[in-house]
Amino acid sequence: MIFYAPNGQRRPIRLSQETRQFAYDSLNRKYGLETQKTPAVALDDTKNFETLTPIEKYDLAISKIAREAPVRVCRGELISGAATLGSAIHHSVPATYRSEAIYTGVSHLTIDFETVLRHGVGYIRGSAEQSLKKHLGSEREPFLRSCLNCLDAFEVWHRRYLSALENIPDYERNYKNLQRVPFEPASNFYEAVQSIWFTFAFVRLCGNWPGIGRIDWLLGDFLKKDLRDGNLTLDEAREILAHFFIKGCEWICGESSFGNGSGDAQHYQNILLGGIDENGIDVTNEVTYLVLDILEELGIGDFPTTVRLNSQTDEKLLRRVSEVMRYGGGILAVYNEELIIQALLKDGYNLSEARKFANDGCWEVQIPGKTYFTYIPFDSLQILQRQTLDSYKNSIDYSDFEALYSRYVNDLKKKIEAILHDKQRLFTESGVNTAVWKWKPQIPCTVVSLFEQGCIEKGVSYFEGGPVYNICSPHIGGLADTVNSLYTIKKLVFDERRLTLREFLKVLKNNWDGEEALRMYVINHYSFYGNDSDEADLLAARLLNDFADICNGIDGKCGYRFPAGVSTFGRQLEWAPDRLASPHGKKAGDILAANCSPTPGSDREGATAIIRSYCKADLSRLATGSALDVKLLPASVSGEDGLQSLISLMRGFVKLGGFFMQPDVVDAQILREAQEHPENYQTLSVRVSGWNARFVTLSREWQNMVIEQNEH
Amino acid sequence: MNTKTDTQLTVTEIQRFCMHDGPGIRTTVFLKGCPLRCAWCHNPETQKRERELLFYSNKCIGCGQCVKICLNDAHSFNGNHTLDREKCTACGDCAKSCCSAALEICGKQYTIANLLYVLEKDRAFYGDTGGITLSGGEPFAQGCSAVTLLQACKETGLSTAIETSGYFDPSLLEAAVQYTDLFLWDIKDTDDSRHIRYTGVTNIKILNNLKLASDLGAKIRLRCILVNGVNTDREHYRNISDIANSLSKCEGVELLPYHAFGGTKAVFLGLADNGKKEWIPTEQQLGTAKNILHSYGIKVL
Repeated sequence: MIFYAPNGQRRPIRLSQETRQFAYDSLNRKYGLETQKTPAVALDDTKNFETLTPIEKYDLAISKIAREAPVRVCRGELISGAATLGSAIHHSVPATYRSEAIYTGVSHLTIDFETVLRHGVGYIRGSAEQSLKKHLGSEREPFLRSCLNCLDAFEVWHRRYLSALENIPDYERNYKNLQRVPFEPASNFYEAVQSIWFTFAFVRLCGNWPGIGRIDWLLGDFLKKDLRDGNLTLDEAREILAHFFIKGCEWICGESSFGNGSGDAQHYQNILLGGIDENGIDVTNEVTYLVLDILEELGIGDFPTTVRLNSQTDEKLLRRVSEVMRYGGGILAVYNEELIIQALLKDGYNLSEARKFANDGCWEVQIPGKTYFTYIPFDSLQILQRQTLDSYKNSIDYSDFEALYSRYVNDLKKKIEAILHDKQRLFTESGVNTAVWKWKPQIPCTVVSLFEQGCIEKGVSYFEGGPVYNICSPHIGGLADTVNSLYTIKKLVFDERRLTLREFLKVLKNNWDGEEALRMYVINHYSFYGNDSDEADLLAARLLNDFADICNGIDGKCGYRFPAGVSTFGRQLEWAPDRLASPHGKKAGDILAANCSPTPGSDREGATAIIRSYCKADLSRLATGSALDVKLLPASVSGEDGLQSLISLMRGFVKLGGFFMQPDVVDAQILREAQEHPENYQTLSVRVSGWNARFVTLSREWQNMVIEQNEH
Repeated sequence: MNTKTDTQLTVTEIQRFCMHDGPGIRTTVFLKGCPLRCAWCHNPETQKRERELLFYSNKCIGCGQCVKICLNDAHSFNGNHTLDREKCTACGDCAKSCCSAALEICGKQYTIANLLYVLEKDRAFYGDTGGITLSGGEPFAQGCSAVTLLQACKETGLSTAIETSGYFDPSLLEAAVQYTDLFLWDIKDTDDSRHIRYTGVTNIKILNNLKLASDLGAKIRLRCILVNGVNTDREHYRNISDIANSLSKCEGVELLPYHAFGGTKAVFLGLADNGKKEWIPTEQQLGTAKNILHSYGIKVL
């Protein structure tokens, strides 16, 4: 029973043999394959189904899911509840009518576990009942009735588990622990873990993919009290918490969640550790370290975990983070919370709210349990190629670099405005370019709305402006490639005057055909973004600044907050076929840069230079985030020197004003072996972007991209 | 006292984000020139003190620009690119014009001011543990200039380390110890006749310098290359232990198993590939070395 570590080191053993076996079975697809067997409940025998309103259909589905989803109690599990319908793995509400899924699920949100733990789901019911009284007879009544229907369904599902547990021998402890929660407030650590898990499992069962948020902050006080009162030992607590992580592997089935080759570990169930609370006090506690122990021992990458760092972060925590990080698998990433809180303040949040930030189940920052979030990715390189350079038509010319650049920023602005107009068309009744933002009805999403503050109070769903904050964040992609393209044109055409813009565009139009010497010159003689070379880096900083200005200009003029962000996730792959040859020596169809990272192959100075390049931009203007991927070789972080280096790397990242960094310790050679012999590497996880994927479940194309990113 | 920041040094490479040239994250400056000629040399481009032209044949796309630009007719094409090193004066004109960076000048002149500019860049990452490392070659082959660089770094608050063969003018040591936080001191072989055979010089000077450095209060890590069949005997490990135990501030010993990458670098210089697979030590040999050092109370880093 080996829990694979990409750095080749043996993982420590702290958990019981039974728990390790449970983890091993879960990671090796036992429960995922079982879940796939029952994809969904069928609504076909519903009378007059077609005449029902969307929300009536939804309520019917949730109620049926709660009544019919298989109940699964795993051998030896310490906490219970399981999301056992296979369509949920693929982001659908697992209910069909005439074999068609009726609704899609909701993701990119971290729900309000705080209220669940401290007040109980019963409290949420009370709020819904009150709100219904207030809104009786109004257009909000159907949503609030749906809230109560979904809560009824939740209770039905809860009762089914209780009666199952009551009847299986040896599960008395589970039964007792599930009796009160999640409907009443949790009274100890064990109940608290069960409460979060059961709520999470129900929301997932209904087809949604919520994040977990700040688990150490949520659970810390419960554990502290239990330890103090002698009700629990640390070892017992670790065992219980480990089951939370292991249960979270119940969807591992070896298949891509989206059917696009992007891997099977991508359900956005992200976790945050450490950082300060709303009063500025460090939340790090025993739970923080237990989570790190569990990740270290089991190597579970299904809960991508990010640690909030600041300049005062305790050496002990940083050391422990580094120890776990260097096993590889990209399981841990880091936020610089000082910069992020500053970014959220600039974006209009108050201080105590900003300090509560978690993420959306990926790495984009949001206030948990209060935020509707959507991001709109776009390829900045294609804007340069198609609009600014008119796909390299011969008629294009600019007198100097500034003329070219300002045209590009203008084209960027048009793109951002188009994003806003799309949203207006889809989400409002008022149409494009109007000052009034009147939400129009969207598909039902009551289950997540229960756990998003604002929805019940207003009587409005998650998709229709219910949450306290509503975010639509344009995400610029292809940043490094756009910057390097602009930089090359500036150097080659306007500074060195080696050829005219028209001549150069002709070379590009012909995909560098017959111009290998020129292409080599560009590749080898220019210092691109990511090499700590000011000329290219400051162009990146300038572009991000102009992008943030454009988004800020829209902020406040619509129903959304409109913060800027940077990402590609894996889209550099899907964009590749639509990209022409680029000025920075790239040919048509090449796979280019990820997130805020340099163009593959263009960085020659190592990780510190990449971080310095990235930090030259004012990242506090990009409130939803900007991710930097850093790949490290196992050998480079081995030994005490290596550990110190990893700690220093993170300290430097904070000091220089980074936002989010995902270091992965992996050797391209190992990945190639895994490609040839997947059977030996079933549990090898790699950081793809905001998530980890089991490498062997990625398609060949994705695998190659990950390998390429790891080669230097 | 202000250091002379216009002092010049000949540098083959400045490498940032080094994690194994001393503690923490470091920027390593490789200085050109070495009095030793180790048979297993990993950095043959740092042996000669003079500028040299490196040619990476794998990068050459055959554009022929170097032929046009060279005033000494050192480059020619007959099917393949050939470089006549007799004619080459390492002026560097061809390297500047080489689009694919297949030609590169090894050994650029830097003033200390220029070096400090580069060394400063990663200050945020050095933290309490990292800093700068002088390596080579033998850094002290550039004499007082190397010491001046160490001094200049200390004056700006950068932590310093030096990787040395130990074979240098002892009169440099007093100042060097003052400005160096850690010496990474090579012990290639404790058997002098083998030392002479495989490195071209005696180890007596090296061991005398080591003692002197220790007496002056230097903090030292010993670095011992292990070459299978050359110095993988127990006697050598015991001698290393004795030396380590005789030092006043010894952090421990690093064992560096021989690898064959130095060989390819020699090819870029127009030399024969000196890489020998049979020299790579076995895991067992490494284990034995570690055990013996441990049995003498030596920390193996």
